[in-house]
Amino acid sequence: MFRILVEKELREIIGSTKFAVTFGVCSVLILLAFYVGARNYQVSQAGYEAARAENLKQMEGLTEWTRVDHRIFLPPQPLSTLVSGISNDVGRTTEMRTQGELRSENSRFNEDPIFAVFRFLDLEFIFSIVLSLFAILFAYDAINGEKERGTLRLSFANSVPRDRYILSKLVGAFLALGVPLLIPILIGATLLPVLGIPMTGSSWTRLGMVILAGYLYLGVFLTLSVFVSALTEHSSSSFLLLLVVWIFAVLIIPRVAVLISGRTVDVPSIDKVNYEKNRFRSQLWQEDREKMNDYSRENPPSAGEDMTQWMEGFRAFMTELSNERNEKSQEFGGRLNEDRRNREVVQHRLALGIARLSPTSVFSLATTDLAGTSLELKQRYAEAVNRYQETYAQFIEEKTGTQGGMFFMMRSGGEEEEEPEEIDPYELPVFEYQEPTSRELVGGSLLDVGLLLLFNIVFFAGAFVAFLRYDVR
Amino acid sequence: MFFTLFEKELKAILLSPKFVVTFGICSVLILLSVLIGVQEYQANVDQYETAIQLADQEVREATSWWGINNKAYRKPNALQIFASGVNNDIGRLSNISTWREVKLRQSVYLDNSLFALFRFIDFTFIVQVVLSLFAILFTYDAINGERESGTLKLTFSNAVPRAQYILAKFAGATTGLIVPLLIPIALALLIVMVMDVPMTGVEWWKLLALIGTSLLYFTFFIVLGLLVSAMTRRSSVSFLVLLVAWVLFVLILPRAATMAAGQIVHVPSIAEVESQKDRYRTDRWSSFWEERQERWRDNMAQMEGMDEEERDEYRAEHQEEWAQADDDARQLAQEDMAEFERKTNEDLNNRKGEQERLAFTLSRFSPSSAYQLATMNLAGTNTTLKARYEESMKAYRTSFSQFVDDKREEERKRSRQQQSGQRTVIRFGGGDQSLDVSELPRYEAPESTFTEAIRPSIVDIGLLALFSIVCFGGAFTMFLRYDVR
Repeated sequence: MFRILVEKELREIIGSTKFAVTFGVCSVLILLAFYVGARNYQVSQAGYEAARAENLKQMEGLTEWTRVDHRIFLPPQPLSTLVSGISNDVGRTTEMRTQGELRSENSRFNEDPIFAVFRFLDLEFIFSIVLSLFAILFAYDAINGEKERGTLRLSFANSVPRDRYILSKLVGAFLALGVPLLIPILIGATLLPVLGIPMTGSSWTRLGMVILAGYLYLGVFLTLSVFVSALTEHSSSSFLLLLVVWIFAVLIIPRVAVLISGRTVDVPSIDKVNYEKNRFRSQLWQEDREKMNDYSRENPPSAGEDMTQWMEGFRAFMTELSNERNEKSQEFGGRLNEDRRNREVVQHRLALGIARLSPTSVFSLATTDLAGTSLELKQRYAEAVNRYQETYAQFIEEKTGTQGGMFFMMRSGGEEEEEPEEIDPYELPVFEYQEPTSRELVGGSLLDVGLLLLFNIVFFAGAFVAFLRYDVR
Repeated sequence: MFFTLFEKELKAILLSPKFVVTFGICSVLILLSVLIGVQEYQANVDQYETAIQLADQEVREATSWWGINNKAYRKPNALQIFASGVNNDIGRLSNISTWREVKLRQSVYLDNSLFALFRFIDFTFIVQVVLSLFAILFTYDAINGERESGTLKLTFSNAVPRAQYILAKFAGATTGLIVPLLIPIALALLIVMVMDVPMTGVEWWKLLALIGTSLLYFTFFIVLGLLVSAMTRRSSVSFLVLLVAWVLFVLILPRAATMAAGQIVHVPSIAEVESQKDRYRTDRWSSFWEERQERWRDNMAQMEGMDEEERDEYRAEHQEEWAQADDDARQLAQEDMAEFERKTNEDLNNRKGEQERLAFTLSRFSPSSAYQLATMNLAGTNTTLKARYEESMKAYRTSFSQFVDDKREEERKRSRQQQSGQRTVIRFGGGDQSLDVSELPRYEAPESTFTEAIRPSIVDIGLLALFSIVCFGGAFTMFLRYDVR
């Protein structure tokens, strides 16, 4: 009986014009998302390589490591092409210094506002907006539509158990929508390595999980539609109700959640934090300036003293002051940053907690976690940059004998001066951004994948209970 | 006859449960978006004012013109409440210094990534996505729905001219849907006034033009619904076609157009360009130092054979001249670097402009893009916002640098006078006293007039009008041939 009902549902959906049109649209969109995503990755990767090469090239010919302007770059993530998350909003370039706080700049949307206007078409967008709408379109009249046409009464004139009927409705709709969609998805996935996306085992696993989350999300809207269809008498009412739910889930709740948390948890602005830091640094500088002036007054170079030797002593004094100052600044700045970060974490938790009332937010969070383009990306990149700064500082210290910060260059014009040797920029330690392991990423997304499953179960249970009490006449 | 048909259509819309639900949702959404927008704007203004005060304080606390750091901030725009455009994507501030290029950095979304994840909701977004969907929902069965229910045949059993019928359908649907919408819009404007959003007369005009454009966009979807309904026999088919058209117009075409332009016109990454500038800067400074060293050698050569007293005398006599030569060379180096940066930026901007033109031309096939571009232009939150601010900040940088250079020169002269007679003195800073910054030039954000805002929007508003006329013409023609049975 169950098989017959599933078959009927399948035939009904697959044989409809609605299916042909929506399947065509979805297939084109999915293939387009994979293709354009892969091409975008290639462009971003080429830009990244060119920027790295240009960065090293601009150092060629320099003779002092102290004059190096070194930049490091966040490489594009392969799966960001399918789930962009915040990858276009984070700064991708960091000007490297041996000391002090580093700031990442040049986010894609800041540099190319044209892409910010309409944003990108990625797999996450297609699932969360287009497929959810089509899921509603296929199931909004699953129960009440049959009643309106009189086929529900006919079906129940036979000995059909209600539980099997509702289950077959869902399974049929899910198979009819999900299985054909696998075709463009699989073609798209095959295109990725062909188009030069470096897909590792971890990337494939995560892509698989993204698709699984997409199917669970599709399931949420199918079960919800059947549920609403079993709650209402007319298909027009269920469609209207579902459209309202869709607007709230997709467009309203995620945005309102962020705004509520923004109002509830006060996070000091970056400007204020920076001002505090600058003020503290300025105070330290004022104090040290007195010491420097005193040194210059109390230890003037005596007549006939070798100037280079005097400068060496002065440099040692300055380096000591500079190191002390930097240590204090870093400690103070670190405390401010930590305080801001803690507040930010509370704000994020509240926002995401509220946003998770919407399956769309849950899906977005799950997929961005899996693709490595979630809110964590910014923090992870910042941590990688800070780790690299230590390596870089060590390298510069080895090369120059100083930790950087303040350099004194003695330029003399003696004819006996030797031609200085050029530095080799390729000796610089290479910055590698390590993506988190798939275990970490999948682990981070489990809560949201679980929530999607829970939404499915709750809506199915609702549909089941509502249908058991449904008046089929 | 026309009025009877018009009244019937109006009643059919206003009395349907669909209308109550959609009107309620639209009202809530519009009011919510404006309320949130006003609060966000006020938060931005607070942040902007605090940042300016802090930057001023930092300048006032400086003790030397050599160590002065200044920043210019992008001023929040009251119309961002209605059309945020790229306002949150582009940087909020730029360092203003003689040594560094002007560059907007620290966007709202970069500082607060949480907002980037789900984005903001504004009036334009609601009109673009939600209202257009509702317009379809009300008109997809305007003609074929009447045929299916048999009322079309009944109506035309009387002497009803088809032209009047379709005109009444259009007028009824437009009035029935647009007039009620004016209520939440009027309330939204009231919120703006009550919550003390400082709007100038020009901004009110721009806002009215923005609302007018929104209604025109809404009208387009009404006539599109009529057209498809007049082209198809069954309402289920027209709904499907319209939904696909909506998905294409609102969600796909705008994105696909920019992505296609991104693929066709190659623009080098900013990191690449910056590294090129760095390279030139490094090379130019190197040659400056070499020239300086050469001059120093020449100067030393002049003093060969002199005793210490003669040397001191000679040095004192020529010190000004040598310093002047160094200053001239430094200025020349800076001018060269500025010229290189200007050329590189110009090349980059040309390519970006080409990419943008292509993207917008392609995207204008979608009325949704035309609407978005028009509203962004009217609100002043379009893609030129960044360039506009950077240009005005560059002009400010020039006057700021000029002022600071003069002050530095004065400081240097004072320092030289204090140093005369001493052999080696190293001084740090200009003293304990804060600087007098009362005459320091202040940054003024660029303002645009109503004409400047409307001019770039005319193409898009014209396109929206054209799309609507074409669709209505199509609906009219199709209905004249429609089989009412």
